[in-house]
Amino acid sequence: MTSSNENKKSLKSFYVLWAILTVFGVVVSLYAPGYLMPKSMSSSMHLSILTMVVFSVSAAPVAAGVYAATLYIMRNWAHKGDGVPAAAPAIRESAKTVVTWTLTSVILTVFLLIWGLGALAVDNSGASSNPLVVNVTGQQWVWSFQYAGPNGTKVESNDLYLPEGREVVFHITSLDVTHGFWLPQMGVQVDANEGTFTEIHTTPNKLGTFDVRCTQFCGLNHAFMVTQGHVLTPSAFTTWLNAQPARS
Amino acid sequence: MSIDTHSHHDAHADGGHHEPPEVVDGRQRMSIWLFIGGDALTLAALVFTYLYLRGVNTSGHWMSMLGYPGPQLPGGHSWAFYDANVFNGSNPAAPTTIVTGPLSSGLNWLGTVVTAISAGLIWSAERALRVAKNKSAFTMLAALGTIVAFVAILISFHQLSLIPQIYSIHNDSAVMAFTAYGSSMMIIIGAAIVHLMLLVFLGLGLTLRSARGAINVENWYQSRLVRMFWVWVAISAVATSALTTTINTIH
Amino acid sequence: MTTTLEHKAPVIKHEGGGLARHQNFLTAMIGGIAGAFIAWAIAHHLLDQNVRTTSDAVAVLTGCGWIVGFWFGIGALNAPFAWLVGKDQTRKDQLYYAGEDQGTKRYWKYCTDHKVVGVQYIVMTMVLLGAGGILAMAIRTELIVPGNHFVNQQVYNGFIAVHGMLMILALIVAVAGPWGNFVVPIMCGAKDMAFPRLNALSLWTLVAAAGLLLTTLAVGSLTMGWVVLAPITDQAGVGMDFFALAILVFTVSTTVAGVNTICTVFTMRTKGMTLERLPIMVWGAIIAAALGLYAFPYFSLVEALQILDRTFSTSFFVGTGGGTGWLQANLFWLMGHPEVYVILIPAVAALFEISAVMARKPVFSYRTAIAGMVGLAGLSILVWAHHMFTTGWAPTLGGPFMVTTELISIPTGLFFLVLIGTLWRGNIWMKLPTVWMFGFIANFIIAGITGIYLSDIPIDNQLHGTMFVTAHFHYVFVGSVLFGAIAALAFWYPKVTGRFLDEKLGRIAFWLAFIGVQVTFMSMFVSGLRGMPRRYSSYSFIFEHTNFITTIGAYMIMAGMLVLGGAVIYCWNHGEPSGSNPWHANSLEWLVSTPPPLENFDVLPVITEDPYNFGKELVRS
Repeated sequence: MTSSNENKKSLKSFYVLWAILTVFGVVVSLYAPGYLMPKSMSSSMHLSILTMVVFSVSAAPVAAGVYAATLYIMRNWAHKGDGVPAAAPAIRESAKTVVTWTLTSVILTVFLLIWGLGALAVDNSGASSNPLVVNVTGQQWVWSFQYAGPNGTKVESNDLYLPEGREVVFHITSLDVTHGFWLPQMGVQVDANEGTFTEIHTTPNKLGTFDVRCTQFCGLNHAFMVTQGHVLTPSAFTTWLNAQPARS
Repeated sequence: MSIDTHSHHDAHADGGHHEPPEVVDGRQRMSIWLFIGGDALTLAALVFTYLYLRGVNTSGHWMSMLGYPGPQLPGGHSWAFYDANVFNGSNPAAPTTIVTGPLSSGLNWLGTVVTAISAGLIWSAERALRVAKNKSAFTMLAALGTIVAFVAILISFHQLSLIPQIYSIHNDSAVMAFTAYGSSMMIIIGAAIVHLMLLVFLGLGLTLRSARGAINVENWYQSRLVRMFWVWVAISAVATSALTTTINTIH
Repeated sequence: MTTTLEHKAPVIKHEGGGLARHQNFLTAMIGGIAGAFIAWAIAHHLLDQNVRTTSDAVAVLTGCGWIVGFWFGIGALNAPFAWLVGKDQTRKDQLYYAGEDQGTKRYWKYCTDHKVVGVQYIVMTMVLLGAGGILAMAIRTELIVPGNHFVNQQVYNGFIAVHGMLMILALIVAVAGPWGNFVVPIMCGAKDMAFPRLNALSLWTLVAAAGLLLTTLAVGSLTMGWVVLAPITDQAGVGMDFFALAILVFTVSTTVAGVNTICTVFTMRTKGMTLERLPIMVWGAIIAAALGLYAFPYFSLVEALQILDRTFSTSFFVGTGGGTGWLQANLFWLMGHPEVYVILIPAVAALFEISAVMARKPVFSYRTAIAGMVGLAGLSILVWAHHMFTTGWAPTLGGPFMVTTELISIPTGLFFLVLIGTLWRGNIWMKLPTVWMFGFIANFIIAGITGIYLSDIPIDNQLHGTMFVTAHFHYVFVGSVLFGAIAALAFWYPKVTGRFLDEKLGRIAFWLAFIGVQVTFMSMFVSGLRGMPRRYSSYSFIFEHTNFITTIGAYMIMAGMLVLGGAVIYCWNHGEPSGSNPWHANSLEWLVSTPPPLENFDVLPVITEDPYNFGKELVRS
């Protein structure tokens, strides 16, 4: 039988490779999400980007380990020559490796779960006592937004206007097929369903314009079901609201 | 892998096609259990559908719908494709909420009992062949079971025809539609009919094969496979009847 | 498909076969078209044309006519009716159905030989992948620059759905079809599958369903993504009816195939082939088959309800009638997530097998490998609602489903452990299957990690419904499953044809596909991160560069697949001869001749140990 010492190599280059790839991965993880994702205009988007960073940093050593191991294997143990390779050491089990590997993945998973559930709780909490309610209606292929105007009137707009620093609750529905109501700069989305209301909330914290896009395939002009959103200062928002023609 | 190819010239060596019937039977029984398992999952998904629709009761429409009552046809039959325009002439001006009651429990259980009786007949047919070794009794009981299953199909079709339809509004014209309850009953009864048709095919096969001598007292395995599936269909009929006759209205 | 290594059979006059002597793919097509026409004519004339649902009812009945006519024409209905009237097949009939001495003709027939069915599945998979690939190229060409009008927008939207469904079907059968049929029975030491006729039935039912699915392109109007969830389906034309019926029929095919595989492994193993001695590929085949048996009933039901809604005016998914689209979403994803692992597990199991043979080492921690696959299959039935995190359905269930979903990373991690553990300290034979296996490892880690992001609700709220999701599952399906399937093809190709798949062409294909996957889907991740939703037919200028890069990468993948497809066809007759055991492996499929004889073994072998003891003298008769 083959000796179990066969094919043992120094692991130094593996660890070096792993470390280098991990550092590379961590650096990319720290900067890529913020650089690539839309600029954050709300606390929920901030949380999304932060969670992306945390998950990427946690995943970096795992991915780096797999790549380092694969490269190390290809470099050290690729059979050279034309013939059939001889039998390699018959390592059938290594309880230590299996347990270490499994425990590590359990610990990482539990960490990600705790972070994720925590972030979810933060996302779901913080319902302020005086949110702005916006009724969102999707139909093929436009969005419309209804606000409570002055004196119990209703104000309707095809652009979405929001005040800075105040929580907004969206009540979303659809007149026809399912649409996906997504605010890329706010980090929130939910479907607009016919015959029922769904709800999301967010608090814009930056002035400027943002996008409204549809994320559920809704027919011919799905790609063109986009509109603009604007975050205004609270006083500018009130001015805008009062200037709109009221509907009963 | 080391292989010893010289010590195994026994009777089984000819493989797949000349195996003893017990071996083939064991394999086929396993397949029937797997098919029953898959069928049970389909039934579970059906039950999920039924309970889900009743649970959400969208817009209060589990047993009601905005529209016009369906036409009364001779003999209470109304299950067919209709020209909605024919009916349009006599509508009330505004649609109202039409409430439909649950289907008759008695008829539901009648269909189930008839299915169960057919399963019982097939059960005794199989026993007659395997235990009592009485081939003519087998042929007769199998034929009888098949006929009874056919009666169950007729009852199921009658039930389908009694599911109340409503003429609802769609694109400004009145079209036939079923409530969520009616829809659920349609798929449950429809699935029962598909199963019963398969049973009739199998029962007819048992009868003809027995009459032609392809089944005999030594060769009773197939009849047991058919019986297994038949009994399962009866059990699922009892389960769906128990569900749809006890939990149907919204309280 | 022909092979020069076919047994050159003397021309003998046969008895047996009966009607089947006149039935083949051509008669099946004729039967299908005739059946469809007859059903259409009857339905068209009997049903009231003024009723809203009539066109759908006519379409469904026409589709049924196609299926029944196809079954009749290919010979699938011969045996059931022979059984009904008590005329059982004789041994000669069975041998005729098994394709004895019919040469290459048997590949066009309702052949019960599991090896013929395996080859038919190879062809079928390549046809489906080819058709889906052409649609992918059309989609990417449309998206090469913003506002491109390469195809009509309505047609483009239809391509999205059919591309998706064709590829899903192709990958469901990509490993389990060819190798679950060709090698798994031999690996167990069986002379054929447990139910050879059901085996032929599952293959030809798939062909019939695929025909129906491709027809939807001609009748159009299937513009709703491959998931075809209500209520947008209400706006679809008769293509939707064909689609639903095709899926319904396809689930029959997979259920039958799954039952067959499980029964084969549990009841047909040769003497001494204990469960612990089974090659790991066999475990993958039965775990995936069992998971398929669990998942596909939901698929049949969801399509049956869809058809009833469209033809009988039921209200399952119609809000105004008391139904809800969320019922369909639930049923669909109850099937949809397990189905991903029905696709993945056979590919992973094939790679376990390949890694062991190529590294000349036993599978590292055989039990961990099984535990990983069982764990993944078990968890997969508890995670469906993560596809519905942003639908608004039951927001309170988000947390629990997030937990079950993230747990999936544990069994997935075990796959890496087993693969790396098997390769570690091996003597790795760097042949074509090994190369594609390394490609799988590199891509699968990206597929896995990007999946973890999407399982997390705060991130999913941002990325759901974007190109990020599209890129993620393409890393799973193209980068991982397809690479695994090609590794399996390169590995077992010599057993089917007696020739190697060309090493040089195979490596060219590998590098084109591997680099192509990174270029295509990395840039697609960026499109998604920057905010581009899925299923767009056009996009704003901020997504211009990444989409251009994606399209170039997609062309590279296609070029690689064309090279590979060319190599598969060319090498079938002209490749380098391989002998019967080119990889010097010990599992039973390598110890029979190439191509294996009709019933695989003249004398059934007796097994005394598992197939992973390399370097021992092989005992062969």
